[in-house]
Amino acid sequence: MTLTVFYLLSALSVFSGLMVVLSRKAVHSVLYLVFCFFTIAGHYLMLNAQFLAAVHVIVYAGAIMVLFLFVIMMLNLNLAAEAQKTPWIKISAVILSGLMLLVLVASVKGAEELSAAQPQNDIGLVKNIGNILFDKYLLPFELISLLLLSAMVGAVLMGRKEPQPQNE
Amino acid sequence: MTDLILLKHELLLTALLLIFILMKLGKDISNSSFLKMSNALLLINFIIGFFGNQHGQMFASMFQTNELMALQKNMLNGGLLLISLSSSRWLNNHIHLPEFFMLIVATLLGMFFMISSNNLLVFYLALELATIPLAALCSFDLDKRQSSEAGMKMIMSSAFASGILLMGISLVYGVTGTLAFTEMSSLIASDHLTVFALILLFAGFAFKLSVVPFHLWTADVYEGSPVAVTSYLSVISKGAMVFVFTSVLYQVFKPMQEVMYQLIYIGAVLSMTIGNLFAMRQQNIKRFLAFSSIAQVGFILTGISGFSHTGAASATFFILVYVFSNMAAFAVAGIVSSAIGRETIDDYKGFYRTNPFLSWVLAIALFSLAGIPPTAGFFGKFFLLSAGAAKGNYVLITIAALNMIISLYYYLRIVRAMFMDKNETPIGSVNLSFNERAAIIICIAGILISGIWNGPFHTIHHSVTEAFSITPF
Amino acid sequence: MFSLNSIAAFVDAWLNSTFSPATALAFQFIIIGLLAISLFAVLGLVLVLMERKVSAYMQIRLGPNRVGPKGSLQTVADTLKLVSKEGLTPAGADKFLFNLAPFIVMIAAMMLLAPIAFARDFQLWDINIGVLYITSVSSMAVIGILIAGWSSNNKYSLLGAMRSGAQIVSYELSAGLSVITIVLLAGSLSISEIIHSQADGWWIFKGHIPALISFVIFIIAVTAETNRAPFDLAEAESELTAGFHTEYSGMKFALFFLAEYINIFIVCAIGSILFLGGWMPFHIGNWAAFNHIMDYIPSSLWFFGKTFFLIFVIMWFRWTFPRLRIDQLLNLEWKYLLPIGMINLLLAAAVAIGGWHF
Repeated sequence: MTLTVFYLLSALSVFSGLMVVLSRKAVHSVLYLVFCFFTIAGHYLMLNAQFLAAVHVIVYAGAIMVLFLFVIMMLNLNLAAEAQKTPWIKISAVILSGLMLLVLVASVKGAEELSAAQPQNDIGLVKNIGNILFDKYLLPFELISLLLLSAMVGAVLMGRKEPQPQNE
Repeated sequence: MTDLILLKHELLLTALLLIFILMKLGKDISNSSFLKMSNALLLINFIIGFFGNQHGQMFASMFQTNELMALQKNMLNGGLLLISLSSSRWLNNHIHLPEFFMLIVATLLGMFFMISSNNLLVFYLALELATIPLAALCSFDLDKRQSSEAGMKMIMSSAFASGILLMGISLVYGVTGTLAFTEMSSLIASDHLTVFALILLFAGFAFKLSVVPFHLWTADVYEGSPVAVTSYLSVISKGAMVFVFTSVLYQVFKPMQEVMYQLIYIGAVLSMTIGNLFAMRQQNIKRFLAFSSIAQVGFILTGISGFSHTGAASATFFILVYVFSNMAAFAVAGIVSSAIGRETIDDYKGFYRTNPFLSWVLAIALFSLAGIPPTAGFFGKFFLLSAGAAKGNYVLITIAALNMIISLYYYLRIVRAMFMDKNETPIGSVNLSFNERAAIIICIAGILISGIWNGPFHTIHHSVTEAFSITPF
Repeated sequence: MFSLNSIAAFVDAWLNSTFSPATALAFQFIIIGLLAISLFAVLGLVLVLMERKVSAYMQIRLGPNRVGPKGSLQTVADTLKLVSKEGLTPAGADKFLFNLAPFIVMIAAMMLLAPIAFARDFQLWDINIGVLYITSVSSMAVIGILIAGWSSNNKYSLLGAMRSGAQIVSYELSAGLSVITIVLLAGSLSISEIIHSQADGWWIFKGHIPALISFVIFIIAVTAETNRAPFDLAEAESELTAGFHTEYSGMKFALFFLAEYINIFIVCAIGSILFLGGWMPFHIGNWAAFNHIMDYIPSSLWFFGKTFFLIFVIMWFRWTFPRLRIDQLLNLEWKYLLPIGMINLLLAAAVAIGGWHF
């Protein structure tokens, strides 16, 4: 039962991930991405990490993707505006990414003897996450706050454009 | 906690960051007094950095520091001070001065954490902290389209690099089951998956270091950004990456030296050659310095490829020299650009007639970059090449030596333009302010002193040996 | 005692004794689905009628009074009219997304029913992160609205969807912060535990200052989140015809309309659960006799009574405050509600740690 659900979710997430890339319309891509995030939230649920799943949906599907949709809808992208690429670029891109895939698959093939991580059943619960976040992972947590602060300053700076005073 | 002294550099910078924000929020301060205050704060920060350095680990050993790292951080602190001094003319006329300092301190803080990280998670976050504000800084000339383009390219290419790096990190985590450097190094075996992960990690690093073939963003970003930011990108950001690269490489990937050597070998040869060939045909002085810095990275990689304490020490020493030389060159370029508004190499023809002092400064800086004795650049490159030669791969050393000769051509081309070529409309005479003069004199003194007297190299070599004998090596 | 809980237990026992466990589960799913749909239908009918009656009362007029006794069947007639209308799809629209959007909005509203406790021990899914579940699912509705606006291929729809999306996303923060205040005080994210923590008094009384502040913020935020007046810029008739559902007609329009009212019901139900004790009767400390009398009122009545009281309050807003401009709307959220909410969160943390609530 669990395995079936896992395969179903994985297939759906791979499918939607592919469709993100393959869709012709940008809005469709974003919607497939939202769907992909939901399937990943499903994976979290299967790992008994309900908190992570809920936060994942709130943050990604609820907030970030909505902003994506906003921007894309405002830009009003259409097919005519798509950059024209020469066939050579397309062919070389296909060859390169094909080689990359080949190397990746070949290198993963030898990973069968790697030992799987021991599942910890209650790692995803709110209490455990809170404990580990503010204890062991305190430094990364604080770093993120600084990162967000400086990113916010940068974004406000770039977003609010006023003319420079002409004092020269 | 009693061991907060270990976090001294980072805490100081965080305090500076908050002070700059509060100064922005507080009542209006004129730019010149703000600049005085921030320079004083940066100077204090630089000086305090030298005292009371200890080694140890914190935060469940996610954070580590030692005397070598303190030294490296001090070098970066000094570099930031030099940038602030030398670009005071441009900063004085900018309406968003507090934001500039806030963002630049944030990136420096990211670099400090990057240097001190002992965990891939902290490393990645610190890398982002060092990169994202830089993109905002690149587009700091808010009214110039080129500058916005530079910011855009910076954020796109660094996002791409982060993606590759993250994939490498996740593969490493999958293979070893840990993110801590110290645990990882004992678990790394050279199976295919680890090699692939290593290549991805290397690619992520190479993006930030602009090693060929991951250099494509460099020239455009350097050209579009304000000169202060360009010098920050080419000197401090690159220096921090080199420091991290050596420490990660020498600690974590010690078992995979052979694979790593191949990667570094290819990267070094390509960077030196392509950087030099492209530098020859540049007209814009910032683009020119961009390609020359790509070539310099090739030399640094040559030194790192030695996989010895000398290799790490020579790379660190070279960064010290590079801070002085490149900063002097950028200071002149920045002063000319913000005073006169001209940036092409042809504009520098006849520069000696009008600005003899600046011409000599630029000439000495370029001599040092080219590696002509008795400037420090010569010794920097000499140590790098001898560290690389210890591995016994003389092909690499020969290519490096040939490239040094090629680089002489284009560095001297500018010197010739300044001193010998005639020009109908030379750049007018530029009056230097106290800050600019101070920055330039410090740089020149640094180039000459560390060239004639090799004390710094031995200090660094000593602390490298000590640092790597403390941490498991 | 006769209660929803005992009926549910009886049905469950009967199904399990008659069929195999798997079949019984399947039947239960079907029953729940039917119940949810019929609850939606009934709520839609009742709430629309209530809205019209309340607004008539506020404006000193009679309201609908032709169909049925005192106009009580008016909404049934409206529904019949909507069902019999043709569902048009505009020519330039993205057909699939256009038809999908109302269902996304409806499904999001339906999923929200799962963790809500309608009566004592009468709850579909007592998930341990119930409050977060509600927040995460309700954020799905925004996507439906944006899709509806974009796929209609109409400027007014797009603008309405944008306004609505911006509004929902920003007010979600304040609603979330005020919810977290109660989570802090109650010490749990699970709906049933939050309700049980109010056995000796509702949080709005027990949590005094922080709970009151967050209650006010919550009511304002959910009014904005459901796009109701005075925050109904998204469908400001005089500017945008009808907002994101301008191009919808017939049953698809009805679904949006229904979802809007269901959402009001759900946010008010959440408000009553968090602040007013859900199905928990009105208890005062250790007044045993008084509490005992209160216990005689069925718990479902308590729940629906509180919820409909909050719905009434929200409808009251509509006829009391004039519509805000977009900048006023965003200022209110980002410059006032959000900072107040954050400070209030700190206050609530202090209260929770110090144990200064009753």
